[in-house]
Amino acid sequence: MDIIKILENTVAAFFGIDAAYFALAAIGLNIQFGYTGLLNFGQSAFMACGAYGLGMTSQYFGVGMWWGILIALALVIILGLLVGIPTLRLRADYLAIVTIATAEIVRLVVRSVRFKQYFGGSDGINSFSTSFRNLSPFDPGAQYGIRPFQYSGYSLWTMIVGWTLVAFFSFLVYMLMKSPWGRVVKAIREDEDAVRSLGKNVYSYKMQSLIIGGVVGMFSGMIFALDRGSVQPDNYSRDVTFYVLTALVLGGVAKVRGSVIGPMMFWGLYVFSDNFLRELTKDRPFEIFGFGIIQKAQVGPVNYMLIGLGLMLLMTFRPQGVFGSKEEMALDGR
Amino acid sequence: MFVLLGVLVALAAPAAVHALDSDYSIIVSVANQTNNNGVAEKKPVAGVKIAITTPAGVAVGEGVTDATGAATIAVPAKDDYVVTLDVASLPSGVTLVEGTKTVVNIVKDAFTTNQKRVTFFAGSTGDSGASLAERIAQRLVDGVRLGLIIAICSVGLSLIFGTTGLTNFAHGEMVTFGGMMAFWFNVLLGVPLLIAGPLVIALGGVFGLAMNGLIFAKLRKRGIGLISQLVVSVGLSIMLRNMYLYQFGGRTRPLDDFSLQVAKSFGPVSITMRDLTTTIISLVVLLGVAAYLQRSRTGKAIRAVSDNPSLASSTGIDTQKIIRIVWFAGGALAAMGGLFRGLDEQVGFEMGSGLIFLMFAGITLGGLGSAYGALVGGFLVGLLVELASLVVPAELKNAPALLILIVVLVLRPQGILGRKQRVG
Amino acid sequence: MDAERSYSELAVRARAALASVQASPGVAKPDPILHAEKVKRNFGGVTAVDVDHLEIQRGSITALIGPNGAGKTTLFNLLTGFDTPDNGEWMFDGKSLKKVVAHKTASLGMVRTFQLTKSLTKLSVIENMKLGATHQAGEKWWNGLLPFRYRKQEAIIERRADELLKRFKLDHMRDQYAGTLSGGQRKLLEMARALMTNPRLVMLDEPMAGVNPALKQSLNEHIRGLRDDGMTVLFVEHDMDMVHDISDWVVVMAEGKIIAEGTPDQISANPAVIEAYLGSHQGKSLLEGEGA
Repeated sequence: MDIIKILENTVAAFFGIDAAYFALAAIGLNIQFGYTGLLNFGQSAFMACGAYGLGMTSQYFGVGMWWGILIALALVIILGLLVGIPTLRLRADYLAIVTIATAEIVRLVVRSVRFKQYFGGSDGINSFSTSFRNLSPFDPGAQYGIRPFQYSGYSLWTMIVGWTLVAFFSFLVYMLMKSPWGRVVKAIREDEDAVRSLGKNVYSYKMQSLIIGGVVGMFSGMIFALDRGSVQPDNYSRDVTFYVLTALVLGGVAKVRGSVIGPMMFWGLYVFSDNFLRELTKDRPFEIFGFGIIQKAQVGPVNYMLIGLGLMLLMTFRPQGVFGSKEEMALDGR
Repeated sequence: MFVLLGVLVALAAPAAVHALDSDYSIIVSVANQTNNNGVAEKKPVAGVKIAITTPAGVAVGEGVTDATGAATIAVPAKDDYVVTLDVASLPSGVTLVEGTKTVVNIVKDAFTTNQKRVTFFAGSTGDSGASLAERIAQRLVDGVRLGLIIAICSVGLSLIFGTTGLTNFAHGEMVTFGGMMAFWFNVLLGVPLLIAGPLVIALGGVFGLAMNGLIFAKLRKRGIGLISQLVVSVGLSIMLRNMYLYQFGGRTRPLDDFSLQVAKSFGPVSITMRDLTTTIISLVVLLGVAAYLQRSRTGKAIRAVSDNPSLASSTGIDTQKIIRIVWFAGGALAAMGGLFRGLDEQVGFEMGSGLIFLMFAGITLGGLGSAYGALVGGFLVGLLVELASLVVPAELKNAPALLILIVVLVLRPQGILGRKQRVG
Repeated sequence: MDAERSYSELAVRARAALASVQASPGVAKPDPILHAEKVKRNFGGVTAVDVDHLEIQRGSITALIGPNGAGKTTLFNLLTGFDTPDNGEWMFDGKSLKKVVAHKTASLGMVRTFQLTKSLTKLSVIENMKLGATHQAGEKWWNGLLPFRYRKQEAIIERRADELLKRFKLDHMRDQYAGTLSGGQRKLLEMARALMTNPRLVMLDEPMAGVNPALKQSLNEHIRGLRDDGMTVLFVEHDMDMVHDISDWVVVMAEGKIIAEGTPDQISANPAVIEAYLGSHQGKSLLEGEGA
């Protein structure tokens, strides 16, 4: 078993682009769920808005990347209003139900044959990143870094932009949550009626939180699509939101550190587990008592099973994650 | 729970070996679509040659579609490939749909699991002469079928919400459980469905009991809040879905019994005897459930607890027992839904997860927490979805369900039969 | 009676105004701050509230009493916008509140507390207080991103909050999580926090519930202090001693209707009231209370 390779990949995963785009999605989800208590299971739909907004404008309208960002922003606001208006006055479960339905519909629409001319169907959109590439100071062909952590110029560029965005939004969220706005929103999470009785428009704050969180998620989708160089509908399924949620809970909800370190740890663990299991089953299935428990092709599902199990255990035994405070959780009635 | 895991794994071992024989593969299907009176039928096309190369033109593999119309061609890794269909090898009388490309590019990221599916459609999808009334009639029949299945699957979901406050995101996996068990009994063990059916349903009930007893009852005891429980059910859903994927593989497979059927025509509509039977059974079960809830003592107790748990327990009803009954019944009904769905559409690891959001639409329409609401709402959603496919492309026919959800929540959030207080 | 107590000028005026009012249900007041007309609320066939006419005198302390299930909290909810009546009209300071939602009534000067105290346990005491202040620039998200836009206002608010905390003797706990406070302290916090909104009418839902007797006297003093500062207080209570002790006026509800109004002395002697209470096995203290 090539332990060195496994460890190398694990360390690379901590700092890789996957952790970065997950962190952005988690920061957004944290604003909505961690701080305000909104169960947004449709974060992947906001991510899709980002990716498709960028992709479509580049590919089909031939306009520059910056217009793409504006269009994506418009899409996010529309989506946020569409989802928020019917549900934010009602109990939390309804938001969860509607957002999951929305995420699914968004995925079906962008993947459909009917709207293929706009969204590229199941092939997606594949050539939109030129203006982004042109901004890069690095030579896309060359390799940078020291072995074993080497990246192509383009990958390095997206990583730097990605992590810079993570730092930027972390800082913004930190400032926001320390402000009176953050105070209102944290109070809403605990008890809406108390906040209402003090004259604050709870519904409006929830909507703001939903949309702001969605905007950060939008950047997540953009970075992801830019790194891959393509926008693929199946990357924005509802499962993605669940994995981001798991990463967030792992790090610690309502903590800025949690929303960044959580995804890093998540990817480190996932890549480790994935690599480890693949090495384990490389030549023959992994057996217990003569039963072939894990075949090479089953490594994927097994890994995802572990994620699901992990989320269950986290919520039950350590809901505050790594960085959350136990006392805050102890005061929790939820 | 680990015992459950171990048992399922042990049961799965033979299935696993059977299902997966290579790391990655591209599954190419060729289907001939015909349209009789508005009923679209897909028939597999065998004997079609498929070739897979790298974008540079290096040959990777090739295959010929088998009797199910599919060719599974192994590929070395998740990568970019070019899939080419040999038009000359199409049987006579079968032509691809106008405008279909015979060369398809696969991008590395298109592999969401270890297998990528590509389908080529032959035949014409234009409607052949069926009048609007006939098409509506056929859709109505399909809608009734789907609606009854959704209604059966969602009763449990609604009652679980009513009695415990939990929105169970793993309910779809309880439906899939039914399909999986049906497959195991019928295909792997060779037990005829008439005997296996009741077994599957009973096992579904046990599964429901286990989910409650091993997980959610314990969470409630620990005082873990409803939102946290909801997130746990999300984790459970991920875990179960991937467990099914792990055992069953990524493809959908039909059950052995009753799978090859010819549709019979009844006037303007056509339906297979199998589907007609399952529809009738579903209707009978539905009415039975409704009658049970209305007349029997336990049924009334269930409705009382679902409506107002604290009030009900103060009148001496054993709420814990009722909750267990609800989970058992919910699991059993979901498994039945899975069984019928498996007969209708083939068994797959995601068969239930796809239904869950139609179920949510149904119980929101009918009223969260109301048992009758789930029946009425689920049925209506099924009907509406099938009718919508008259105007909306088939791939998007679930979209109107979302619209229903949003409209209901804006206009009348408690649904048709729900109570207003539960809502906001 | 309570001649040893001193009343502020505003309090004296309010009490004097009430002296001329006849003791009958639904009677008009010389200067009503709150006025409700034909307010009805049904819950699935049960009439929870059916108030024909109710006026609350500005600047007074009015108690709303009645047996359990009389509809007192429901009336509170209806008046403050936390629930919608089936019909009725009600006005606050001349302004109709008919379609006004809960958060708007609060910003109009009408603040309420809750039966089950809603102190925000995960915020510190001082943060709870600062939350109460109205018209905060920092509560807009774009200002929230730029501290210099709200820093000055925040400092002013914090000073006010600290003064109030001192008055309520909670200042030594200012930085603790509200969740660590005792039940009685949380009640005080909720009251103090409500005052941050600069209300004209303070509606307290069972302020004495669950408070240990030692704290009750001080709570009483705080409520009287509110009236002395010119605020109107309307509170729901079951504790008859307290009601008798501090209220200027008492309104009695039973089965959704107002059955009596008057000064505490008049109410103690009112046979209809005694009947309503005896009917639900309460009110022994009323018979034994002073002034019978």
